[in-house]
Amino acid sequence: MIGRHILYVKTTINEQFNVIEMNIDKDRLGELYGKVGVGNQTTLGIMGRNRDISVGEIFMIYSDRGERERVFFFRVLGLENYLRQVDDMSRIAGTLMVEGDAYLSGIDRNMLLSLGGRMLGYAEKNEKEEWTFKSPRRLPDHLASVYRPVPGTSDEFVREMLASQTDGEVHIGDLQVGEKTLDVPVKIPIMYLPMHVGIFGSTGAGKSNLMMVLIKSIIDTNLDAIRNPNADKPRLSAFCIDPHDEFAKGVDNYGIQNIVKDMSPSTRTDIIGDFYYLTTHKSATTRDIRAYTREIRILYSEIQPRDLYSIREYTAEMSSFIDSQYHSAGENWIDSILNMAEDSIPGSTSVQTLRAVKRRLSFLERSPIFIDSGTSILDDIFFAMETGKILVVNTSLMSDTEQFLLTTIVTRTLSDMRRALKSSGNLGDFETQGKKRLPPGFFNRVKQQARAFYGKDGVSDSSEVRDPRKLPVIQVTVEEAPSILNPVLMRGQSVFKDISRQGRKFNIGLLVVSQQVSVLDNVILSQMNTEINLRLGNEREIRACIENASVNINGFENEFRVMSRGEAIVTASYRELPLPVRIPLFDTIYEKDRHRYKDKKSKKDEKHIL
Amino acid sequence: MYRWILGPNHLVRSELDSMLDKILTEKFRKTLRSVFKDIQHNQNRREQEKLVEDELRIKEKLLTTVNPYPSDVVLGDDYLVAAVDGSGTDRFVVHDDIRVHLLSTSTVVLDTNTRSEFFFAPIDKIHLENELDEQPDIDAHWHSSVPHDARKKMTESLENIYPQKNIVDLVLPFFRDYSNGKIDSFSDFSDTEFASASEKLREMEDLVSRSQSLTNIVIHDELRKASEYAAIRTLLTSDINPKFVLIDGAMSVFMHPTKHYPSMPSGFMLRDLCSLARQKGVILCAVSKNHTIPFAHKIAKMAKDKFGDGAKWFCHLPSKFDSGGGLRIIEDRPYIPPMLAVPYLFSFSRDNRPSRIDFDRIWWLQNIFVSGDPRTTRENEKALFREIEFMSRDARWYGYPVPLALAHESCKLSYEDVLLAREICKDILKEVGLGDWKTHPLREDYNQ
Repeated sequence: MIGRHILYVKTTINEQFNVIEMNIDKDRLGELYGKVGVGNQTTLGIMGRNRDISVGEIFMIYSDRGERERVFFFRVLGLENYLRQVDDMSRIAGTLMVEGDAYLSGIDRNMLLSLGGRMLGYAEKNEKEEWTFKSPRRLPDHLASVYRPVPGTSDEFVREMLASQTDGEVHIGDLQVGEKTLDVPVKIPIMYLPMHVGIFGSTGAGKSNLMMVLIKSIIDTNLDAIRNPNADKPRLSAFCIDPHDEFAKGVDNYGIQNIVKDMSPSTRTDIIGDFYYLTTHKSATTRDIRAYTREIRILYSEIQPRDLYSIREYTAEMSSFIDSQYHSAGENWIDSILNMAEDSIPGSTSVQTLRAVKRRLSFLERSPIFIDSGTSILDDIFFAMETGKILVVNTSLMSDTEQFLLTTIVTRTLSDMRRALKSSGNLGDFETQGKKRLPPGFFNRVKQQARAFYGKDGVSDSSEVRDPRKLPVIQVTVEEAPSILNPVLMRGQSVFKDISRQGRKFNIGLLVVSQQVSVLDNVILSQMNTEINLRLGNEREIRACIENASVNINGFENEFRVMSRGEAIVTASYRELPLPVRIPLFDTIYEKDRHRYKDKKSKKDEKHIL
Repeated sequence: MYRWILGPNHLVRSELDSMLDKILTEKFRKTLRSVFKDIQHNQNRREQEKLVEDELRIKEKLLTTVNPYPSDVVLGDDYLVAAVDGSGTDRFVVHDDIRVHLLSTSTVVLDTNTRSEFFFAPIDKIHLENELDEQPDIDAHWHSSVPHDARKKMTESLENIYPQKNIVDLVLPFFRDYSNGKIDSFSDFSDTEFASASEKLREMEDLVSRSQSLTNIVIHDELRKASEYAAIRTLLTSDINPKFVLIDGAMSVFMHPTKHYPSMPSGFMLRDLCSLARQKGVILCAVSKNHTIPFAHKIAKMAKDKFGDGAKWFCHLPSKFDSGGGLRIIEDRPYIPPMLAVPYLFSFSRDNRPSRIDFDRIWWLQNIFVSGDPRTTRENEKALFREIEFMSRDARWYGYPVPLALAHESCKLSYEDVLLAREICKDILKEVGLGDWKTHPLREDYNQ
């Protein structure tokens, strides 16, 4: 093979000769673009050809310093025109203007681009000949050659080298190299979803499309698990708040409903079940979606005081009064307070406190979704979440308080169920724990089904329980996150504080969606392990986003300033490389994949017994 | 006082900066004032009178404008323009009395290329290097300080450098031109003042008649000139066929005061090149920014007054052999005009000081000068300068011929280049068993 040579390096340990084969085919890296000029292990200056380069492009640098082949990844953060043999470009520009007959001899070959940017890290093969990716702790060789990835040429090699940085199950987009993308899918591993995901972006940055792409990807992941039953792939559940009622119908031509419609009946049953769309008013839903719709109804009895504390600040007197009522009236505590006469206030509670609490609870009486009696949707939500389903929750007709309370109740209920499970050795223990933690009415209704979900080998009291980490990963969306994940509420008894810290134990993760990073509580930010950073609104948010990122993206300010809709920088604590990602349009990927949903489910192989 | 502005950490520095203290004093200003007033009152007064005598002739007869090509000109025949420049250091390595010189030379060839939008485009590098070898070229030479050794080593190097190895053929072009064709071979020397010279000019070493003045600088200049001339000779004998070949500097030939032929080999080499260029139909010219022409700024002022601020102009500087005789302002300068050369002063840019260009006088007499017809001579001059102006419009060096500027860029040895070359030199010294030699400049031994 041309260009392939073999080096023999003597080891110091066993005096054997190891053979390190120098075999990177540089043509697969892309177009030879330039040379490394100045720099250190953090920032580099590259001198390259006069090409149409944009901020954000990724280049690869081949280096064999120390007879070790490495491919360094470099991200452009700044550009400058450079003319060889010219110290003062302004003077030349002035001469060209003043002396109308001036020319520039042979200038095309002297017109270069000086690129400044961040070293992202490097890929090298380990002893097992597997590609690994390391944080920048080395420097490419002097005047090392720089390659510009070319879509269609470099994709496969980049995919191989960056596998450890891009692989996973939940596809969010493709690796972006400047204004183009490579066919290098960027995915989030399911195992990291319970360690919480943040989606940050200003209005118009593409959050809704990203959410739809994520929902589709979760559906695809579950479909893959169903179609490959022998692979024992994990299932994924998602409780997705849809504040603008866009996900089901779609933003442009297609929505999640199209996927549901495309599914064969059996696939639909497995992936969606009987419903996937939750709304306040079923009658206001279009006919095709209505078939998969449930109305959101939550009983007063399913609300716990800390659900309220998680969404609004209460004074010490108010919370003390509420807690005492919850203690004495149990799950009827809301009725008890709302119907309490001012002359029968127990203990030292003042009339003002009662009035204030009543005022705060009064929204429940006006709300169509929080009801004193009737059928709750919470059971169905629980069943769906424990069986790897997607729920799209239309909150467009809800007030903010209703939406926040719903999210809180669902999150707290799901986590309390799994907490009860985690605290138990067998299903008997589980029932005892569940009764302690959850509203009795709700728990009594779901406990039989819960036993089926949680029992390792049957539903009897003695049956050992399953590890929550073997259950479907549940992803709960927290929309307009600053309203409930702010430092004031997170200081109190917020259920989200517990989830953010302990969610991974129960396989429950938060999907925090926010236009702002700066106003989120530090607890939630520090527990977040994956950030999908879209275009941000202002300098303060850019700064906060950079400071909060799980990997060092200092210096990316310029890039945030020029990001377009649908472009993201994905950072994760479990990855060394900040990944620039182009989120595809939902319609595009739906059209590409729609044939997949019609396929029939494959049967699990049965063991043949002779 | 400024030491406190800099802060207490700079106390030591401030003590060392006493020269700066001196420069900032009124006393220093007084010294400068005295020098320039002296120049003003003595030098200029004497020369001024000569300029007055020359002024009318310069304005009316010698000075004229260039009629530039329009910026969208398409020449009937595009042609090639070449330039050669060299660089180097005479103290690349200094070890006891041994001195190693480093020399670089570069040849650049551009195509007027008016049929495309990219004027004066460099020709294909592969083609250029096929004809001329690697560009730029780098070379090293050494000598010791023993006088005879310096001469011997220098001439050895010159023999290696210059492609014309036959010394008779190397020296004869000078004598042919100098004698106006009367001498064509050594046998023609017999009836001339050079009768005794034929036997003395057989080896390269014989051509060095200034051996007593072979200082390091002189040796370096000679080596550098020879390298540039060698590059030009290679170019002239190649298949490249440029219309112009430009060289940096003047066409000066330093003559031996009594022998009346060049005192150093480079003088013969230059005349060899002039002769070869004429044979090949190539216009050889030497351009110098540092021209040493007295009152050049006054001539530029005359041009400005006569033709306007932005005019492009040139001015012939005649010799005593020309009609009307030499200019008074240069009569005390024996090397202006250089022997067998015709100098002009020119300016193609309002922002820059005028430069000088020299042509081979024999070529000039054959191609520019028309005896008894000053008008046609002027037309020929204007046509010549039209071409030279056209090659001097690169925005980076507006007013200066771009081939020369590019050749200079290509050959120049920067401080960093020399440092790196010295580092490599260290390796080589070790390799050949001279590891105890030091390559860094001597003053660095003393932390200077």
